[in-house]
Amino acid sequence: MRAFAPGIYPRSDALVQATRDLDRGRISIDEAARQLAADRAALIAAQKEAGLDLLADGMLNWQDLFRALVEASEGLEAGPLVRFLDTNTFYRAPRTTGSPRLTAASTGDFIAPLPGRRLVTLPSPFAFARAAGLDPRTVSEAVLAPVLEVLDAELVVLSEPFLARERDPDLAALGEALESLSGRLPLVLQLTFGDAGPLLDRLAELPVDGIGIDFYLTSLDAVPEGFPKLLLAGVVDARSSAVEDAGVLAGFAARIRERTAGEIALVPNGDLQFVSEPVARQKLAALGAARAAA
Amino acid sequence: MSVKLLTHEVGSLAKPPWLVKTSAGRPLDDGDIAHAKAWGERLAVPAHEELVELLSGAPGEEARDDIARWSSRYAVRLQEQAGLDVIWDGEQLRTEMYAWAIAHAGGFAPRGIVRSFDNKYYAKSAVTGPVGLREPYHNAELSFLQSVAKAKLKVPVTGAYTLAVWSYDEHYGQGAGRLGAGSGRAAEIAARREFALDIARNVVRPNLQALIELGAEWIQIDEPGASTEPDELEVFVDSFNASVEGLDCYFSTHLCFSDYDLFFPAIEGMSGCRQYAVGFANDDGRELGTTAAERPGYGVIERFRNLPYAPALGLGVLDIHTDFVESAELVRDRILHGVQVFGDPERIHVTPDCGLRTRSWEIAYEKLANMVEGARLAEQSLNGSNTTAR
Repeated sequence: MRAFAPGIYPRSDALVQATRDLDRGRISIDEAARQLAADRAALIAAQKEAGLDLLADGMLNWQDLFRALVEASEGLEAGPLVRFLDTNTFYRAPRTTGSPRLTAASTGDFIAPLPGRRLVTLPSPFAFARAAGLDPRTVSEAVLAPVLEVLDAELVVLSEPFLARERDPDLAALGEALESLSGRLPLVLQLTFGDAGPLLDRLAELPVDGIGIDFYLTSLDAVPEGFPKLLLAGVVDARSSAVEDAGVLAGFAARIRERTAGEIALVPNGDLQFVSEPVARQKLAALGAARAAA
Repeated sequence: MSVKLLTHEVGSLAKPPWLVKTSAGRPLDDGDIAHAKAWGERLAVPAHEELVELLSGAPGEEARDDIARWSSRYAVRLQEQAGLDVIWDGEQLRTEMYAWAIAHAGGFAPRGIVRSFDNKYYAKSAVTGPVGLREPYHNAELSFLQSVAKAKLKVPVTGAYTLAVWSYDEHYGQGAGRLGAGSGRAAEIAARREFALDIARNVVRPNLQALIELGAEWIQIDEPGASTEPDELEVFVDSFNASVEGLDCYFSTHLCFSDYDLFFPAIEGMSGCRQYAVGFANDDGRELGTTAAERPGYGVIERFRNLPYAPALGLGVLDIHTDFVESAELVRDRILHGVQVFGDPERIHVTPDCGLRTRSWEIAYEKLANMVEGARLAEQSLNGSNTTAR
């Protein structure tokens, strides 16, 4: 059993202040970048200390799940603010201004190099398409595939906050979009903050190596017996300030293992940015302790 | 009878640097003092020289409340000079709409800062026990503003549902018992209902009663979180009703940055709300025009028109997330479109989308002044003395 922390990680108080100061012209870009690097170093240390199996960069310079890719593309711009699920956090909906196409020369501006085996989180093509009013395949081919072509990572987590909340999502369109991404790197579709239960049978058919599930809203009984894919088990609640008991998580992990046939990785059920950084750090530690005990 | 369109603010204004710095215990520089002097003169704030003198003397902690009251005077004058009919002080005497209420309520504990959007953050708390009101938390503010404002006052009060949905729940929900249980949304909604109704009855309502006893005539219940969860809209409506039912005041509600279609039909049950102040400009185009096609941000307003209790609509005409200053003509056309849809100009009030605290005073003032000018242009058009609106 493994454990890791995909998604956007919260900024420290010092980095929050640095970004505020940068916005108000009180500090230089270089000074803000130094604080960003310090935050990233602290996050790497926290993941190592927790014993997580793959490192994540925390997407500390991403303003939301879509922005970095929007800014790295032509034919897209950041549109109006839209509330993200039941949080008081907003994202800017991608808006098309032409044919979308990733134009960044490298991924270095939005995917930070890390000292070890790593994962990368990107928006799921369904989520990006829904937010931008595009077809998922267009998003995959024009924006996501060029990123994957140059990535070096053990795992790519496609973060999907909307799918589980759709009444009748077009999984065939999503499947086509994922097909155009598959083959180069292991892919996981993580359904964050939602009940994946009604979709799980069909999700198992998608051309990805793993599926992520929020177990705060999804029943363990909904997971098909002998589930064959890598299962990212969302056992740390990224929308709650209460820090999980590692023993409880480990016990639950054992129950998952009894039910599934594929590999299991313990993860938060979504971006940890929805709690403050000190709380997130405690949750990382709980995640690692649960993995060690499981 | 000639048309007169009511203009008002919606909530917050930025705090001036001399208030921010003194609140944080940081030293002032010459630019801060120049800011106080320049805006004092520009807004004709009575006796503003006293503030300049106070700031020039390196004020300490003991002067913070006094400086906050000066900031409140400036904010009042900024809005009065911009020409608004109904005003507030833009939260100069509060920390922030969520934090201020929580700080005066029992049963909460701070849990750090989390992102709102981009580089904007807010302090978030968790409910950890039974909630209650420690003390009425807007009375001192209202008393002060009654003493300095010339325009009519409207008191913004953060609503119960927003306070609940913006807080972590470490008390009402099931906690770890939810893991893998599949209790799903039903259990979450039940917990939120209990939480929101407790805030409504034990925090917001007694605070409203205290304000009314002090003479408040218009109270705006701010519910920017109202549509956060579409399947919890009845919780929002019930918590609003529990907050205001039987109280004698003009109650309005502020909603913003939502898919407003979600509110229907739930808010048909919110007849105690006399006006909805709603942000639309954020989603609208910047070209002139009064047709539905030319005003794409306003497609939902007919649903507010059709509410059975015929509330007024505070029509958001200023996008508060950008420094783009809407021209008076653009404001005019947004208003005229609203009036065309509603048919009754008495039911259209003119407002920004939301509070302007993320804009500088310069930008906020220009936007508000243009909003008032746009309302005057719309009145001219509606009263038949100007036919330039397309």
